[in-house]
Amino acid sequence: MDSKEINHLLELARIELSSQEKEKITSDLEKILDYVKQLQELDTTGVEPMTGGTLLQNVCREDEIHKQKENDQLKNSVLDTEEGYFKVPPIFE
Amino acid sequence: MIKELHQKLVNKEITAVELINHYFNIIEEKDNQIKAFLSLVEKEKVLKQAEQIDEKINKGENINLLEGIPFAIKDNMLALGTRTTAGSKILEDYESGFESTAVKSLKDQGAILIGKTNMDEFAMGSSTENSAFFPTKNPCDLTRVPGGSSGGSAAAVKSEMVPFALGSDTGGSVRQPASFCGIVGFKPSYGTVSRYGLIAMASSLDIISPLTQTVEDAELVFKIIAGQDSMDSTSFNLPTDSDKKKDKEFKIEDLVFGLPKEYFQKGLDDVIKKKIEEAIKKIESQGAKIKEVSLPTSSYALSCYYIIMPAEISANLARFDGIRYGGIKNLKIDNLRDLYFKNRGQGFGAEVRRRIILGTHVLSSGYYDAYYKKAQQVRKLINEDFNKVFQEVDFLLTPTSPTLPFKIGEKSDNPLAMYLSDIFTVGANISGVPAINLPCAWTENNLPVGLQLIGSYLSDYQLLQAAKLIEKIII
Repeated sequence: MDSKEINHLLELARIELSSQEKEKITSDLEKILDYVKQLQELDTTGVEPMTGGTLLQNVCREDEIHKQKENDQLKNSVLDTEEGYFKVPPIFE
Repeated sequence: MIKELHQKLVNKEITAVELINHYFNIIEEKDNQIKAFLSLVEKEKVLKQAEQIDEKINKGENINLLEGIPFAIKDNMLALGTRTTAGSKILEDYESGFESTAVKSLKDQGAILIGKTNMDEFAMGSSTENSAFFPTKNPCDLTRVPGGSSGGSAAAVKSEMVPFALGSDTGGSVRQPASFCGIVGFKPSYGTVSRYGLIAMASSLDIISPLTQTVEDAELVFKIIAGQDSMDSTSFNLPTDSDKKKDKEFKIEDLVFGLPKEYFQKGLDDVIKKKIEEAIKKIESQGAKIKEVSLPTSSYALSCYYIIMPAEISANLARFDGIRYGGIKNLKIDNLRDLYFKNRGQGFGAEVRRRIILGTHVLSSGYYDAYYKKAQQVRKLINEDFNKVFQEVDFLLTPTSPTLPFKIGEKSDNPLAMYLSDIFTVGANISGVPAINLPCAWTENNLPVGLQLIGSYLSDYQLLQAAKLIEKIII
C-alpha cells in the first residue's frame, strides 16, 4: 500500500491525519491485509454470498405518519443552530 | 441473584431506597480504582424512583421481578437524560436524543438505570483501553484489562456495583470481558433483541447482550429485552416452536456436547486448555455425552470478520460528520470540507480510524470482489459448518478466550495481537448463533477462565437451560 493509495482512502473517508499517523496506519493496514489474505485459500466458486445476519425478507410496516415530538435533546448536541436549523460553514466560497 | 433481591424487597427485608444507596456506596468505594463508569445518573432522581416503588410495596401492591433493581448500560446505548459517548471524543457532549428499545423495556418493568459504563471507542477493541477517556481495570487484578469492548459493564457487575448490566456483542465484546472478569455474558441469536438506540458498529453482527452473575439472571434480563420492535426491521420474536421447547425440561445426560477440535489447537494458553478439559471431564462424569467434532472453516472466521466488520463500520460511522451529533470544540474551520476532515481526524481514536480506512479499502472499487464478496461467501461456508455440526450435537463447548486477562498496555500497540482475542468468539456473530460465557475455573493467581457454550440458531432458551445445568456442575 503506497502513500497515494492511503491518501485516496483518507479522502474517501474524510479523515485528516498527520504524516506520522499516515505512516503508522499504512504499516498496520499492511499487516492486517496480509493476515486476512488467507481467505483466498478457500475455494468459494459458486457459493452464494451471505449478505446479512438475518433470514428475514421484505419486512414492511403500515405506511402511517408518526409525528415526533420537537426534540430539544437533538439540538443540544449540535455545535451551532439558528432558528431551529443546523448551522454549518459555507459550502461555496 | 435478581430473584433474591426481589424477594428481599417484597418481604420488606430491604427497601428500594436502601438498595440504591447500597449500590451507590459500592460505586463510591470502588470505582475510583476500577473506573467502570463513564457517567452516573443523578442520585436524587434515582432515589425518587425508588421511593415510588417503596410506596407501592408498602401499600401491598405487587411489583415486577425487576422493579427497583438497579442496572447499568454500556455507553453506546441511548437513554433519555444521559449523555451517550460510545467512549469517543467525537460524542463527548452528545445528549441521547431518544431511548433504546432494550433500555425502555427494562425501565417499563421498573428496573432503575444508574449509570453508563466505559467501553472501547465505538465498541472497537478487546481491552477497554481504546476508550477515549480512561482504561477500566479488571476487578480480579487491577494491573490487568477487564476485556472489551464491554469492559466497563463486566467490571461493574464483577465488583458488585450493579446486579446486572447490558453490553453489546459484535465479535465477542460481551463474552470475552465476561470471561476476563469471571461472570456470565450471554450473546443471544442475532435479531432477537432490538438494536434501536444502540450506536451501530457492524449492523449484521451487533446484538445487545446481558452481563450477569448467574445464568438465571441472564435469562431473566433476556426475556425482558427480547422481541420484535418496529424500529428495527431485523428484529423478530423467537418462533413459537422454540418457545414451546423452552419449557421442555431436559437433563444433562440427555445432551451431546461437541468439542470443535480447531478450538483446542495452537494459540490456546496451556492453563486455559487444562482448566477447560477438567471442566469437560466433570460434565462428562455427570452423564453428558462428549464428542469431538470439526468446524473446518472456523480458522477463517477471524479473517472473514476483519473484512465484513470494518466494511460495515466505514458505512455506519459516516454519520459522524462533526455536525449532527456534535463534534470537537474550538477547531479552526475554514469551510465545510475542513469541518469533516478535522472533526473525523481528531474526533476518532487510532483504532476507529484504522477500521474505517480498512473498511473503505475493502469496499472500494477494484477490491470489492476480492475482499468483501469473498468474505461474504466465506461467511456462508462458516454458517453451513455450524448448521452441519448441530445436526450431530446439541451444543458446542469451547474456551471463550485463547488467553488469560492480559496486562494493561501489553497489546495496545499491536492491533493484530489484540484482534486475536476474539478468535473463539467471532464465529457465533458471523453465523448469528447464540453463545454464552460461563466462569469455569480460577488459576493459581486467581484469574478467571471462561467456558463458552454455543447453540444452534434460535436455540436461546435451550442454550440457557443447558448453561444452568453446566453452571451447577462446574462451579
